[in-house]
Parts: sequence; C-alpha cells; structure tokens
Amino acid sequence: MTKPTDLVQGTLDLLILKTIALEPMHGWAIAQRIRHVSKNVLQVNQGALYPALHRLEQQAWIQAKWGESENNRRAKYYSLTRAGQKYLKSEESNWERLSSAIGLVLKTV
Amino acid sequence: MRWLQNLSNWLRSLTQRNTVEQELGSELRFHIERQVEENLAAGMSAQEARRAAVREFGSVEQVKEDCRDTRRVNYLENWLNDVRFGLRMLRKSPSFTFFAVAVLALGIAANSAIFSIADNVLIRPLPYRDTNRLVMVWEDASAYDFPKNTPAPGNFNDWKARNQVFEDVAAIANASLNLTGDGNPEDLIGKRVTANLFSVLGVTPALGRDFRAEDDLPGSPHVAILSHGLWLRRFGGDPQIVGKEITLNFEKCTVVGVMKSGVQFPDRETEIWVPTRFTTEQLTNHGNHFLQVVARLKPGVPLKTANANLATIAAQLEKEDPESNAKVGAFAVPLRDELAGDVRPAILMLVGAVCFVLLIACANVANLLLSRATGRRRELAMRLALGATRGRVIQQMLTESILLSLFAGAVGLLLSVWGTKFLATLIPAGIAPMSGSGVDGRVLLFTLVISLSTGILFGIIPASRVSQFHLTYSLKQGGGQSGVGSGGHRLRDALVVCEVALAIVLLAGAALLIRSLQNLYHLDPGFRADHVLVMRTPLPRQKYEAFAPRTSFYNQVLAKVEAIPGVVSAGYTTWVPLTNYGGATGITIEGKPEPAPGNVLIPNTRIISLDYMKTLRMKLVEGRAIEPRDSAGTPPVALINQTMARNYWSGENPIGKNFKVGEYKEKVPWITVIGIVGDVHQAGLDAPARAEMYLPYQQQDFGYEPEYLAVLTSGDPMALAEIVRQQIWSVDKEQPVAGVMPLEDLVDENLSSRRMQASLLSGFAGLALLLVTLGIYAVLSFAVTQRTQEIGVRVALGAQPGQVLRMIFSQGLKLFLIGAAIGLACAIALSRALVHLLYGVSAYDPVSFAVVTILLAVVALLACYIPARRATRVDPLVALRYE
Repeated sequence: MTKPTDLVQGTLDLLILKTIALEPMHGWAIAQRIRHVSKNVLQVNQGALYPALHRLEQQAWIQAKWGESENNRRAKYYSLTRAGQKYLKSEESNWERLSSAIGLVLKTV
Repeated sequence: MRWLQNLSNWLRSLTQRNTVEQELGSELRFHIERQVEENLAAGMSAQEARRAAVREFGSVEQVKEDCRDTRRVNYLENWLNDVRFGLRMLRKSPSFTFFAVAVLALGIAANSAIFSIADNVLIRPLPYRDTNRLVMVWEDASAYDFPKNTPAPGNFNDWKARNQVFEDVAAIANASLNLTGDGNPEDLIGKRVTANLFSVLGVTPALGRDFRAEDDLPGSPHVAILSHGLWLRRFGGDPQIVGKEITLNFEKCTVVGVMKSGVQFPDRETEIWVPTRFTTEQLTNHGNHFLQVVARLKPGVPLKTANANLATIAAQLEKEDPESNAKVGAFAVPLRDELAGDVRPAILMLVGAVCFVLLIACANVANLLLSRATGRRRELAMRLALGATRGRVIQQMLTESILLSLFAGAVGLLLSVWGTKFLATLIPAGIAPMSGSGVDGRVLLFTLVISLSTGILFGIIPASRVSQFHLTYSLKQGGGQSGVGSGGHRLRDALVVCEVALAIVLLAGAALLIRSLQNLYHLDPGFRADHVLVMRTPLPRQKYEAFAPRTSFYNQVLAKVEAIPGVVSAGYTTWVPLTNYGGATGITIEGKPEPAPGNVLIPNTRIISLDYMKTLRMKLVEGRAIEPRDSAGTPPVALINQTMARNYWSGENPIGKNFKVGEYKEKVPWITVIGIVGDVHQAGLDAPARAEMYLPYQQQDFGYEPEYLAVLTSGDPMALAEIVRQQIWSVDKEQPVAGVMPLEDLVDENLSSRRMQASLLSGFAGLALLLVTLGIYAVLSFAVTQRTQEIGVRVALGAQPGQVLRMIFSQGLKLFLIGAAIGLACAIALSRALVHLLYGVSAYDPVSFAVVTILLAVVALLACYIPARRATRVDPLVALRYE
C-alpha cells in the first residue's frame, strides 16, 4: 500500500491536473515535471502516480490517448477533460484558501 | 454527462479486460524504459541504468493491482472467481452437495408452498375496489344458538335504509338454478343477488353489462350474469353470448353479462348470478333468515362506528318488531377476515412449522459446513498466509454457501409447484379467489429472498469462525485432523441442541393435531356414512307447486329405488348431515306459557321419509319410529333428538307431548312427539348438535321440501349411482340430479382440512425428525473422529469398550436432554396457539408431549449408536500413530 503520506490527501490529484493542464503528457513526464517545477522537493512515487492517474481517468476528470513519445515510442498521454478543467479551477481556489488560511495561522501564532 | 463517461470507462475495464490489461502493462513498461534512457543519458552503464530504473519503480504487480482497484472491477472479478471456485468445490464433494441441496430444497419448498397459500388467503389484495372498506354484515342471534346468522330480507332492507355508515349494501341468497335446453339438464350453483352487488364490490363484467335496478323488480324480464368459469365450461367461451337466451328453472332468461375471471363472490363455487327480484312483502319479512349481506363502508368510517350504528338500528328493530327481532343484533366483519376465516390459524400454524423446518435444515447444513471448514483449515490458512484478507476469505465461504442455497432454492421452487397444487385443496371452497397455478412472481421473489437469507444464515457461522483461527497452528497440523478449538465443539453442540428443541416443538404440535383427528374419527356422529349414496333432486317450483304432485314424486322415486337389487333402503330428507347447519323453525309447546319475544324455541327442522332413519342408521332412543300409518289423514307426529328432549322438556318425558309450528294463535294442528333419536352432528363432526326435530313429509306441507335422496346399499354405493339416476328419470325425465356422491365423502370433506393440517404438520415434523437424527449423527461421528487419539490413549490406559461407549453416548444424550428441555418449554408456550385447531385434547396434553419426547429420544440414541460403536473399535496402536 504505497500512498503519498508526505502529500496532503488529494494534493497529488491537484498536482497532476495542473501539470497536464498545459499539454497532454505521459506518466513519466508528469512525475519529472512535478519534480523539476518543485525544484526536487516533491518526489512523486510511481506506486502512487499510476493509481491516481487511473482513478482520475475512471472519474473522467482526465482522458488518455496513445501517442508517439519524444523518443519515438508509444506512450499513454493524459489530458484534461472539460469537466476536469472545471474541477481543476475549483480545486485550485480551494487550495488557495486552505494554504492562505494555514499561512495565517502559522504567522500569527 | 460525466457519469456516462464514468460508466463507459467502467464497462470498458470490465468487458475489454485484456486490452485494458495490455495497455496498463505497456504504460508501466514505457515508464521504466523512459527512466532507463534517462539513466543512460546521465552516464550509467546499460545494466546499471536498468537496475536503477526497476528499483526506483518498485513492485510493478502492486502498482497494477492498485490501478485495477481504482477501476472498481476487482470486486466483481473476485466474486466471479469465488463463484467459479465455489462451483468447483461443490463438484468435488458431490455427496455433501447433494445432501445439503436436498435438505435445504425440502425446507425451501415447504416455505414457498406455504407462502403461496398464505399469500393467496391472507396477504394478496382481493380483486375488488378498496377491499378494506368491504364488510359482511350478519345478524347476531346468539340467544337462539345462531351467533352469526344469515340476515332476513326485512333486516337487510332496514339496515340499508337507516344506516349512516355504508355507501351501499347488497344482499345475496342461494339459488338452485336448473339449466335446461342444450345438453344435459344441469343444476347450477347460483346466487340471487341485489342489482347493486357488483357496484358494491367495485367490479364490472368482462362482457356485457352489470345488473340494473329495473332488472331486480318482480315481474321484469329474467336476466343473468355468468361466471367466467361457467361461460367457458358450458358455453365454450362464446363471445356472442351476451343477449342470448338460456332456460333457467324452465323460464327464458337473457344473459346480460359475463363476469371477470377473478371475481368469485361470495365463494369459489358460484357459477351464475341472477337478480333477487324481492317483492315488497319479502323485503319486510323479518322472520326468514337466509341472506348474505355485503356492504361498503363510507370513506374514513372505521369498523367500530359501523358496528355501533348497526347495533342502534338493531335495537330500533327490536322495539318495532319484537316478535321477530327480539334479541337479534347485527354486526359487520371485514371481508378479508370473513374470507380467511377458519383457515387463518391453520395457515399461521403451518407458516410457523415450515420456518422451523427451514431453521433445522439451516442448522444441519451449518453443522456440515463447520465440519468441512475444519477439514479445510489448511487451505484457508494458506490463503490467509498468502495475503488474503479475512474479509476476502469470509466472502469466498459465503459465496459457496449462497451457491448451495440458490441451487436448493431452484430445486425447492420446482418441488413447491407441485406442493402448492396439493396444498390448494387445503383451502375450503368458501374461501374466495384462489389463483390458478399458485406459483407467480411473488412466490418466485419470496423463494429467491428466502434462499439468499438461508445461504447467509447457515454460511455466516462457519465463515466467521475463520477469523478466529491461528495461522501458524493450523498450518503446522498434519491433515488438519485434530486440535479443533473447544469453540468449534460448542458451536456445533449448540446447533444440535437447537435442532432438537425445534423438532420437539414440531412433533408435539403434530401429535396434538393427530390426537384431535383421532378423537373426531372415533366420535359417534349419530349416523353411519358407509354404504350410503346421496344425491340432490331439487324440484322446480313451477312444476311442483302443489303438495300432491311433490308427494307422489317422492313416493314413486323411493318405491322404484328401493326395488333396485342391492339397495337396502332409501330415504328422502331436506338436508343430509353436514350440508346445512340451520334450517330451523319456531315452535310452541302445548301447556307451556307462550314464550316471551327472544325466547322462542327454534329447533332445526328436517323433513324426512319413512326409511330415512333406517338408511342413515340413526339410533332410536325411546318411543317409536315413523311408520306407514303416519299418513296425510292421521294426526301429525314428530321425532325429536336428545338435545331437544333435554332442553325443551327437561325432567319430563316428551313422548306424547304436543307442539305446533309457529305461535299459539297459529291455526295449525298440534304435532305429537312419538320418539326420541340420538343426536346427529349436522353442522360438522366437531360441532355439538342443536335441538332438532324430524317430521314425515307425507303428512303435511311444511314449506321445506326434501331434496336429498339417501340410498343405503349392500355393496359399493357409487356402483348403483347410474341406475338410481335412471329410476329418478323414469319418474320425471326432466328432473335434474346433482351432487351424486357417497355420504362418506361428505364426512371426509368435513374433516379434510383438519386431516390436511395434521398430515402436513406430521410431514414437517417427520422431516424435522430425520434432519435432527442426521444432525446428531453427524456431530457425534465427527466428534469420534476428532477424539480418535484421545480414545486410543484411554483404551491403551485400560478403558473398557463399555466405558468408551458410555462416553460417546453421554455426549449425545447431554445434547438431546438440553434440547428436549428447551423444546418442551417452547412447545408448552406455543401450543396455546393451536387451541383453535384441537378437538377433545388439551393444548398441554402430557401424553402427546411424553410420546414425542420418547420418540425423539429413541431416534437420538440410534443416531448415537453408530459413532459410539465406531469409538469402541478404535485400535490404540493406530490411534496413537494417527497424526
């Protein structure tokens, strides 16, 4: 049972959605992108990544298409569905609220 | 729209499993390959790059499994696997499967069959509109021994006019209708009904029209509505029947409608309805009680209010017309209760009984499964060790038990189709609608539900035991033979105790019913039914208006029938026993003060011919029988029964005393009592006799006409049926002859529901007995197997075979005694519910209880014997090497 204990529940979903919002991406690239962008702070475990992708796909927030990868292999590319775009927006604002609230608490106390 | 996508994703995962699996594999492979490339780019060697990538990824299988989980198809797949595995397990042990399915199927079949009956009689809505508002209204003439009396037309009319609680009130009277014309003359079972009957019930004919008010006026053209059954049987379902003429009682009558098939009112036997055509005179007659009255309550009016209103009206009528209505009350009974009537307690009893049988079957199969689960400990332990959760193992075991119970349910359903047909005869014809085959969607659903719950019930106990065992312990054991925790023993023992207790309850109930039936068969009903042929020859009024032709008809028929070789004697009567519990007339006794209103003596009246008493072999207790000299010219005479002698002339000798029909002032001759006869059970073998008098038909016209011909034969009565009929037709070739049967059939019919109850309950109790025997046997032989080692040690240490035998016996006996004690306590508590079904035996009859306990004890000892014998033959050397 490898679950991202170092990430707040649901955060991985948000990170995945945000990452593929720019362009369709395959699993490996999503993990790489998150690592680079977070300057190596967020290491996404494969054991958590793929179940999360499949769950999001199952819930129809994202969709998958097989395509040609940068190294000329067939890879599974994920992109947001229309519902996923809306979902991402609402999740983003939720996150903003939450993190600013936590920030407030941390600053004042 | 998202859920649509969601669903299609799910379906894709489910139906295109291989594609999805392949995609998952190549997706993860791609990830690793991509990482290898990355590592190579970072300058690792090819081998190192791959190793690092794989290490970083972790367990591919685990990731796959987690991905599958997110697709939520795992559950279904697991389940399908369980089903497949379960089927394999059942196939692997066919004898266990056969036994378990057979035991459960019997239990389920009994439940389904009884359910379909109970559903029909007690639950299913009747085919009328708003059935809850329909009531039957009766006279309460308890003061005259008729606590639920058929109302007089006058009372019906007054209730209808004065009540504030009913929307409408309708009346029904029996009618014997001779259908002549095409085909054989036939005596139809018909009803004369007020024109509003079907609108009160809220039904309309399938063909043609309902009765109209003008159809019900005296003198209007004759019309009739056919029942669906008669329409099909006699008229071949002729769609053009409406408007056609038929001949009823020698008069032209127009068929105006055909009723819908479900409507059988007031009973299943009714074949045709005609209007009452009551005259004003009849509608004011309060003294002639022969109607059935059905009424529809106004919306929102409770039964209590209706009864209060009826009581008020009855009190008014009592004041206005004390002669006929003194001490005559009125009350309403919901139609549903009326129809279910007497069978309700019997059906509830049977519902309880089949539940018990099913519980015993469950306990038995649970016991078997427990033993099997012990044998399968290693398999289950292995599964747990390999990472199956306990929930998964329980799910798998439950799947097996539910599979068993579903098989059993399917077999049980087939059995119940047959069983229901058999059981339908349990329901008297008086109970209205009984649907055709009996097995329908409701029964199917019931069977499914009961099968599933049975599977869960007997599966849950063994399955939950799985969660209690110790892994290492179970895996270490050689064949999983010994070392069963005491918990397993206790559970199995408890199940056997329950079985014994349930079986005692069933056996005790059966014993009480059988004793009741025996009492009834050995009771002297006041007549002998063997070798007696009976039939009805209702004389059409139109043809036999006058007294003389009627008398001559009877005389001729009796003379011709008695002349047939093989006929011992023949007699006519108004009603042979068990066909009419009423038929009573008010009388006045000479020399006694005129009775106050409400105290009028109303003995049953039977008009008979000379040899009727001889034919039924009734007993003459005192005085003389009717003789040829009691003819039209001589003073009228009567025989009375013992109850009448005792009640009306207590302390006197009634012989030679006079009475007359009606009041003192009535201008009719005095009738002299010439003899006393033994009481005849007219109303049913289990009902006490009323006061009753017998008057010779040839002396005067009493208004009641003899209708039943009884013929005493030296051989088989039915063998003479045809020739008797021919003799009747030789007197009058148009005379319908109906209801030809041996009198014994009437007696049997009278006891049929009791006999059916007793035999059904005995059958269920026998089944219970068998199951309990098997249960005790299974538990003990399992225990012997489990204790082989221990017994071996005991024998090695010097225990004698007798001691070993005693040890096993005492284990079985202990279970039996505890079970029997609990069972007897329950039986005593529950037998009170049987009171209504018993006759001449107390609900706490010690003999019955003792007999069943001994019976079960003997059977239990037999069940102990085989395993106990096996225990004595244990060879200590083998036993000690057993593990």
